[in-house]
Amino acid sequence: MDVLIQLVLNGILLGSMYAIISVGLTLIFGIVRVVNFAHGEFLMVGMYAAYLLAAKFGLHPYAAAVPIVILLFAIGAAVQRFLIQPLLGAEEHIQIFATVGLSTALVNLALLVFGADLYSIPPSAAQGTVMVGGFSLVKGQLVMFVCALALVAGLHLFMQSTALGRAIRATAQNRTAALLMGVKVDQIYVIAFGIGAACVGLASALVMPLYPVTPTIGTYFVLTAFVVVVLGGMRSMYGAFFGAMIIGLVDSLSGYYIAPDLKEVVYFAIFLAILIFKPTGLFGLGRGTE
Amino acid sequence: MSLQDSSPASTAPVSSGGPSLLARLANPRVYCALLALSLLVIIPAWSGSTFVIHVFVTICVFGALSTAWNILGGYAGQLSLGHTVFYGIGGYTAALLLQHFGLSPWIGMIGGAALAALVSIGIGYPCFRLRGPFFSLATIAFLEVVRLLAIHFNGLTGGSAGLVVPLQLGWPWMIFREKINYLYIAFGLLMLSLAVSYAIRNSRLGYALTAVRERDSAAQAAGININGVKLWAIAASAALTATVGTFHAMYMTFLEPATLFSLATAIEIAMFALIGGLGTVAGPLLGTVLVVPLAELARGWLGASANGLHGFVYGTVLVIITLTLPGGLVGTFGPFVTRLIDKLPGGGRTRPETVAPAAKLVGGTLGEPVLKATNLVKRFGGLVATDNVSLTLKRGEILGVIGPNGAGKTTVFAQLSGFLAPNDGTVELLGQDGKWHQPKTPDAFARLGIGRTFQIVQPFGKLSVLENIMIGAFLRHRSVDDARAVALRVARTVGLYDVKDVEAGTLPIGGLKRLEVARTLATEPTILLLDEVMAGQSQSDTLKMVELVRAIRDSGVSVIAIEHNMQAIMSLSDRIVVIDSGKVIAEGAPETVVRERRVIEAYLGEDFVHAQGL
Repeated sequence: MDVLIQLVLNGILLGSMYAIISVGLTLIFGIVRVVNFAHGEFLMVGMYAAYLLAAKFGLHPYAAAVPIVILLFAIGAAVQRFLIQPLLGAEEHIQIFATVGLSTALVNLALLVFGADLYSIPPSAAQGTVMVGGFSLVKGQLVMFVCALALVAGLHLFMQSTALGRAIRATAQNRTAALLMGVKVDQIYVIAFGIGAACVGLASALVMPLYPVTPTIGTYFVLTAFVVVVLGGMRSMYGAFFGAMIIGLVDSLSGYYIAPDLKEVVYFAIFLAILIFKPTGLFGLGRGTE
Repeated sequence: MSLQDSSPASTAPVSSGGPSLLARLANPRVYCALLALSLLVIIPAWSGSTFVIHVFVTICVFGALSTAWNILGGYAGQLSLGHTVFYGIGGYTAALLLQHFGLSPWIGMIGGAALAALVSIGIGYPCFRLRGPFFSLATIAFLEVVRLLAIHFNGLTGGSAGLVVPLQLGWPWMIFREKINYLYIAFGLLMLSLAVSYAIRNSRLGYALTAVRERDSAAQAAGININGVKLWAIAASAALTATVGTFHAMYMTFLEPATLFSLATAIEIAMFALIGGLGTVAGPLLGTVLVVPLAELARGWLGASANGLHGFVYGTVLVIITLTLPGGLVGTFGPFVTRLIDKLPGGGRTRPETVAPAAKLVGGTLGEPVLKATNLVKRFGGLVATDNVSLTLKRGEILGVIGPNGAGKTTVFAQLSGFLAPNDGTVELLGQDGKWHQPKTPDAFARLGIGRTFQIVQPFGKLSVLENIMIGAFLRHRSVDDARAVALRVARTVGLYDVKDVEAGTLPIGGLKRLEVARTLATEPTILLLDEVMAGQSQSDTLKMVELVRAIRDSGVSVIAIEHNMQAIMSLSDRIVVIDSGKVIAEGAPETVVRERRVIEAYLGEDFVHAQGL
């Protein structure tokens, strides 16, 4: 029983990391309606930035979160403005290829610059554990859990009670109607893409103390994030949050009860089952994939 | 105008066979292509360098893979980013059969292709309903699952440690000391892929795939089984990919899940096709020829220090292509180059035009019922769009369906043609066999002889007018030549002959309405459902259309027409059904129906009826 509770706690904490990444992906998909295949590479870029800030200036990743979030917002906004925006009217496969190409270019650029080696920052307190009621929790993961909750709550407030948030929601629901109401849709898209990328920036600063960075780390995380987003119903931030928790639990439990190297098989199987049988997501919160 | 003709049945071939082999070789398009292809063998054979041979083997392998991918990704428009699943299946099947049973990889190649085709149908069947990027994601997920399983079951596959192919030299074992032999096989596989791709592109299947990619509803109305044709495409594509996978595994003599089920390779294959031109025969190979040597040369000259350089170049080129040349190289420059080539000796010949003789009369007894809709009910949430509608269509009559906007006429049409399943009630059709049928899907309705047009026109915008009509003609004619001949006949009948080579998307609305009728007529229906084909037509065109519909009826076809043009529908119809708020409110001869109080009420309101003292 104790093992089970420990696994569930681990799963939820792991899920909070996926939540931060997936909320960003969902925002981009829900508002700009583009599936960003380069999302994982944003994470990779953020992690290299965190590594460089720590190695060159001794900045702890948590402190580096602020510049990294700003950097990633700028990257996201630039990608929207110069890559996605010219292609908004293009056929869907062109949009897919554009972000896939960006992803390939970024992974290989990192490989050129940093090589295939693992880079990690010096061990810090974030890797330590605290005992809560007889269960050990990794401090860095607790921080992520708190940040994930704060992020979703903050975005909720932003979307519901600011003028910009309303404009973003209007654009997400009906682009043409929003345009007719005087919303500058192109700007909204740039901002939304920037916010989505900024979420990943936050994630990369929080992940850096726990995982080493490699050029392909993004691929590893983003595939999971896609599973989460589909599970959450594609366009719902809250769906993505709960989907992330579920994937965290599946990861933790199947790693223990089935086989550590098959846990991804389990959640890809869930992913395919959801795509095929319940395209509106597990909670029916989204508008689906058909 | 008459469609009648007592000439033999339309199912007989309506055109003569194609030109002879020698005549084809004299066509500059053919000899230029063959010359260019032969360079892929001549250059490395002449250079003799092992490295150059390796580069050309790689070009042939990736060209073949990309060409195979294009059958699914380009023709069918289903962007698979997990195609290395099939490549890996080909490699592992042959390697394992060789290792455990001593079977030649040539046999393993066939086994791998068959297995890959089966697996591809298992993947395609559930996933084809997914829209654009989600299909791509699903294929990535399948690839990841297969790769992880291949690593996990290391007893079978050798896991991450890999598997070394038993080294037996010679043709039966596909392993050679002389590298040039590899090139012969790789080139052969490339030619096989190109031949299959070319054959599909110029066949009924190729047209059907294009139709499905452009507009699935119009494709269904033309009797195309959407999932059926996509499954053919994925199976052909997977089998070819696996065949190349077998060879490449033998060439590398070492198999590991990370290379054989690589996501990066899967993306590269798709990338080459886009760079060269998606959905074209030559594009994937051209993309490969342009990009692969760059990467291989960088790897050869700069070694490990250039790690990532080739991927960076690939990704950047891909992004630039999407932004500047979304049609790819062939899509953008192809027509220009083709015109140049046609100026060479023997070029610029146009194929002789064969126009099919008129279709035979539809048989059967005039006046017998051919379509029975009984108590149809269709609800959308709380709205009852069709409320207990029954109607019968008799052979050889024109039944007009009228009613105010939003009355539910088009919804009834959708149920009569299988596009919507009624919540309650049945639609029965009298088949050619004299039996009553209750088909379920739009394509099954079409095969049983229902032809429908769409109120909101559904052209295949990028195809020519003639090709649009051919898509319909393929329902009853398998060969391209026959379909073309029938399409030419229909184009003449409908008055689109002068614009037959125009891209359909550029037609004005009147032309598009006629194209709807033409595409439907080409399916040689026994029952024709016309949804507001007069709308947007000029006065004289409306008269022509009225005449055309009469002529169609006189050839034995039964017609149901929805129309707002009262003058046209009144003069045309033998009988009229009036629908309002989803219910049939009146039925009968045109002149009696228009006098009915309920009909006037429905159109003009109660107040008008009272004011007129009716």
